[in-house]
Amino acid sequence: MRTLFSKGRILDPSQEMDVVGSVLVEDGQIINVGGDIEAVDVDEVYDCTGLWIAPGLVDLHTHLREPGEERRETIKTGTQAAAAGGFTTICCMPNTSPPLDTPSLIDFILDRAASPEAGGIFVAPVGALTQGQLGERVADLGSLKKAGIVAVSDEGGPVQDSVVMMRAMETCLQLDLPILVHCEDLSLSRSGSMNDGATAAMLGLKGMPRSAEEIMIMRNCVLALNTGCRIHILRLSTWGAVEMVRQFKFLGAPVTCEVCPQYFTLTEDAVGEFNPNFKTTPPLRTQVDIDLLTQALNDGTVDCIASDHSPYAPFEVDVPFEEAPFGMAGLESAVGVTLTELTQTGILSPLETIRKLSTAPAEILRLEAGTLRPGGTPVAQITLIDSNVEWTYDVNRTFSKGKNSPFHGKELRGKAVLTYCGNEVYRDPHFHNDRYARQ
Amino acid sequence: MSRQLTAIRHLDTDTIRALIDDAGKLKESVVSGKEIRSGKARSIGLLFFENSTRTRVSFEQAASHLGYRVVNFSGSGSSLSKGESLKDTILTLKNEGLEGLVMRHKASGSAALGASYFGGPFVSAGDGQHEHPTQALGDALTIKERLGKVEGLKIAIVGDVLHSRVARSNAWLLSKLGNEVRFVGPRSLIPAYTAKLPGEVHYDLRSGIAGADVVMCLRLQRERMEDGRLSSTGEFSRNYQINRVSMRAAHPDAIIMHPGPINRGIELDDLAADAPNSAILDQVANGVFVRMAALKWVFEGEKA
Repeated sequence: MRTLFSKGRILDPSQEMDVVGSVLVEDGQIINVGGDIEAVDVDEVYDCTGLWIAPGLVDLHTHLREPGEERRETIKTGTQAAAAGGFTTICCMPNTSPPLDTPSLIDFILDRAASPEAGGIFVAPVGALTQGQLGERVADLGSLKKAGIVAVSDEGGPVQDSVVMMRAMETCLQLDLPILVHCEDLSLSRSGSMNDGATAAMLGLKGMPRSAEEIMIMRNCVLALNTGCRIHILRLSTWGAVEMVRQFKFLGAPVTCEVCPQYFTLTEDAVGEFNPNFKTTPPLRTQVDIDLLTQALNDGTVDCIASDHSPYAPFEVDVPFEEAPFGMAGLESAVGVTLTELTQTGILSPLETIRKLSTAPAEILRLEAGTLRPGGTPVAQITLIDSNVEWTYDVNRTFSKGKNSPFHGKELRGKAVLTYCGNEVYRDPHFHNDRYARQ
Repeated sequence: MSRQLTAIRHLDTDTIRALIDDAGKLKESVVSGKEIRSGKARSIGLLFFENSTRTRVSFEQAASHLGYRVVNFSGSGSSLSKGESLKDTILTLKNEGLEGLVMRHKASGSAALGASYFGGPFVSAGDGQHEHPTQALGDALTIKERLGKVEGLKIAIVGDVLHSRVARSNAWLLSKLGNEVRFVGPRSLIPAYTAKLPGEVHYDLRSGIAGADVVMCLRLQRERMEDGRLSSTGEFSRNYQINRVSMRAAHPDAIIMHPGPINRGIELDDLAADAPNSAILDQVANGVFVRMAALKWVFEGEKA
């Protein structure tokens, strides 16, 4: 069985490749890529004229909510949403109920993700850093690693005690596991619900100061510098955070970081009149922060873009702002928002856009993903992107159970239109059926 | 569309003036024992998720002068303690036939949300640290009675501005009517970012109340010591208490106001609280009349 992705713009940052050409897949494996490849005995052809052919996108930061919070999302719906968003590999966060702190739970995730019902993409589980995610005692990370985790994280329950974090880093250095750190000093942010700024003051909401984020970024970077443990900072939101990461990278600390679409597009003003769909942590900040974050994406200080897909059941969000949970569903809007706000505006070139959404996140966690190089991935992972299609993001048409999006109704330009992960796992209505032919 | 009163910030100046004027007229009628024609007898729910005696009694009095029936519903001992959501509680009350709703809730922004669930005549009795619109209307009526006008005045709002819904509602109302509003208090109790609040900040009491026509004290809550914003009540009262000495900086005819309940000896001393220029009891009395005006106003919207 031979499949040809024909005559598209190949964007593969892992090979610094930006050429018009084709990708040849045989029995689910990429066997040839390039501007001038010979393709004989092809069984099916995807005509990619005018489309981007990119390595399947990689998301380091997704909440699949299973086990325990199936009202918000399941592995099935979450992986379907990921496939529809153009992702072929996603990392699921450990703050489920119970948290992913034992090998059997990792087995459960991997089994569910591989079931025929699921979205047909790869799920790389992230283990809980501490037992029960209580921030007190480091979990049995060695057995979690054996079970198949790709990283550990304190996401959703940031470790406050510096000794615990230092011990965790020593353990993770030994096991060669990176830590995805949620940087928040809870003593400063507690009972806050949006950025500490003029809007919060007007609305009578307790603010979450930028210092709550920056202090913990500073602490975690210092510990990473001193222990040598690799850390990846989840969702930067402030200009100060950017400057700290820049400085620690300069000092040689093994630090990488991400931003999420909401942080380079929306400010605290978007909260408007207490709209819970705009509540997240760290909170939406200000235009100065957006300017620095986008600049840092451009200059490489920010390594990648992640969705921080945090779905909630509709009833959980239909409450007063202060009582609403933190987080936004994002898998199915991430590519559209990124292309609209960063690529179409010239902040990121098409090749750099794919680097931030695929190659860089794969490299950060050393995943077998993010490349079109033959043999570079277990099966061919390919995402076709139409960078010109204009569409409107509508939460009523998403696969995710989470309808809590700040981008509902937003007009976007650019979309993943076909996702291929060993076989076709998602075809968008914007991918015209004339483009597909069986020979 | 029904009218809903959730925040002064959303009201236009004409509406604010009309509500104050109407409250004044209603007061005359009540005081002179004239019959009040408020149209149909209505049934309204008083839904208080947060304890309140003063405001609840004030709304009950207002409703009784208007001939409305009142159904009381408080957060504790209700379906709320059984885990019912705000939305379901309000939809239940609506479908039990309540025609209007008065609500107090501890979450900022809950007034607009509650009003949208209810979808009918609605008056906020305070939402978190956001707004307390009827308090501000009553205060404006009081200022108008005492000083003859509510425009072109210098108003100092003194104390815990950060946590005060009364401060926010008053600042919006008084600035919309063309008064100069000042927020006065220690840095730990004044929002750090005030670009979206209508007032200038003074950290010094003397400069803050210099020449003020109205000095509005706010209640200082014990939690402010617990969360470390103040070391002691003494620390606050030494620097920000309104008393005969500190009032020397204000205009000689300045009035003293306080939304209650008063912490005597902390934000206000006895002399100031009981002085002839204290308007505190007028505020309480006028609260009833502005609540009458507010209830009438939201129901008038139904006819239109």
